[in-house]
Amino acid sequence: MNKVIYLDNAATTPVDRRVLEKMLPFFSEKFANPATKWTSSLSKEVDDYIEEARENIANLLNADVEEIYFTSGGTESDNAAIKGIAWANRDKGSEIISTHIEHEAVLRPLETLARQGFTIKFVPVDSKGFVYPDEVKKLITKHTILISIMHANNEIGSIEAIEEIGKIARENGIYFHTDAVQTVGHVPVDVKAMNIDLLSLSAHKFYGPKGVGALFVRRDTNIAPFMEGGGQERGLRSGTLNSTGIVGLGEAAKIAKAEMAFNEERIRKIRDTLFESIQREIPEVYLNGAEGEKRLSGNLNFVIKGIRSEPLLTTMNERGIVIGGGSACSAGSKEPSHVLRAIAVPDDDLFSGIRMTIGKFNSEDEVMPIVINLKDAVKKLRDLSPFWMKGD
Amino acid sequence: MYPDIVMEHFMHPRNVGKIKNPTSVGEFENEARAKAVFYVVVEDGVVTDIKYQVAGCPFAIAVCSLISEYAKTKRVEELKVFSMDDVKRFFEIPEDKEDCIKLSINAFLNAIIPLT
Repeated sequence: MNKVIYLDNAATTPVDRRVLEKMLPFFSEKFANPATKWTSSLSKEVDDYIEEARENIANLLNADVEEIYFTSGGTESDNAAIKGIAWANRDKGSEIISTHIEHEAVLRPLETLARQGFTIKFVPVDSKGFVYPDEVKKLITKHTILISIMHANNEIGSIEAIEEIGKIARENGIYFHTDAVQTVGHVPVDVKAMNIDLLSLSAHKFYGPKGVGALFVRRDTNIAPFMEGGGQERGLRSGTLNSTGIVGLGEAAKIAKAEMAFNEERIRKIRDTLFESIQREIPEVYLNGAEGEKRLSGNLNFVIKGIRSEPLLTTMNERGIVIGGGSACSAGSKEPSHVLRAIAVPDDDLFSGIRMTIGKFNSEDEVMPIVINLKDAVKKLRDLSPFWMKGD
Repeated sequence: MYPDIVMEHFMHPRNVGKIKNPTSVGEFENEARAKAVFYVVVEDGVVTDIKYQVAGCPFAIAVCSLISEYAKTKRVEELKVFSMDDVKRFFEIPEDKEDCIKLSINAFLNAIIPLT
């Protein structure tokens, strides 16, 4: 089989070789539990590496090292931030503001809080997936304790005006959490300039390992512990530290900070060339979300009229091209994308959305084979489709 | 992943298309907006030609293709009781894909049953 072309980098990325090299010794020789650093030199050595990783994350976010808490990834960080703030601040109020385009790792905890008596208010997004900060302001009351709005959307790549939203939250004494899983390592993030109180990130979205992430929590934030036990991570997140993963995360952060600008420009160029070619070769294709600077450089999400995404993804996969997303044909098994619904993609097209996400290991040489195979697969499926009347 | 026979029929679906003057047309669209349409020509109670159009998952497409091969030269009386059990003789049906397969069966039966 030829080399696979991987176009699902928003779902996960391969581990950078340099990250892997850095991690390997921590499986065996540097295995000690960092918690016993005062009595064991083996532990002290591991602890030093963990603190180096923490520093790398802090540098990437312009945070202080004491504000970084290691977690198992984006989902844990989102849960910890949202429930931790809600539970610790219930005496101050019970209203939370968020959006309909958040990741499930934010939406499901919000549903849980709603069942516990919290009120969740959703800010509308426009047809490109953008939240207007003024709309956020309108929903604030004296009972609002938390605003949780993602930095960039995982499906359509819209980058939200979180600096302004953070400013509004700060002015009103409300905590501001952002799910930055799609942006950290790809887009500059500055928690100070952006007025962020809590930020979730995940290593495997930027060439680090799976199962490790971090939550930034601004100093003096009133938050409930998110895992109780031996008191690691200053009592907020107990549990023996995943030193191997953390060292990988730290290395990925260091590499991202140094190479981000170069990578993103290259990725954007590949993405733009790819979509221009798709539009030139395949009729009736339109983009979901925004064009330009306010879209993640690697993200493409488009509708191909007249066909469903699931058979297209399967066909492309058979040809060695891996694409993410897709909706199933049984409503019971998978609903259409809540994000495409929120940006008012017409009902006819909800099952026809395709997401391609480019990463740093993609190359311009892949554009041609992608387009040729896509064109062929689309023609085949349109010939089959009762929804495609052209060519009758 | 998909059973071999599903993949084979999905990648190379048989009898695709429309028939100009069919004896009967049957269609079915489900709540997830997947849709299948069958066109059949019947002479003396026997299916002599059959084609279909389908927008659905690989299972739905493969089952349309399998049905089209199965039905040709068979009697309408025999086909009107076609069901999931008949599909199960070709491959094991995953539980969460039953709706996709029903889509194709229902469209087919909607073309056949009015003829009986």
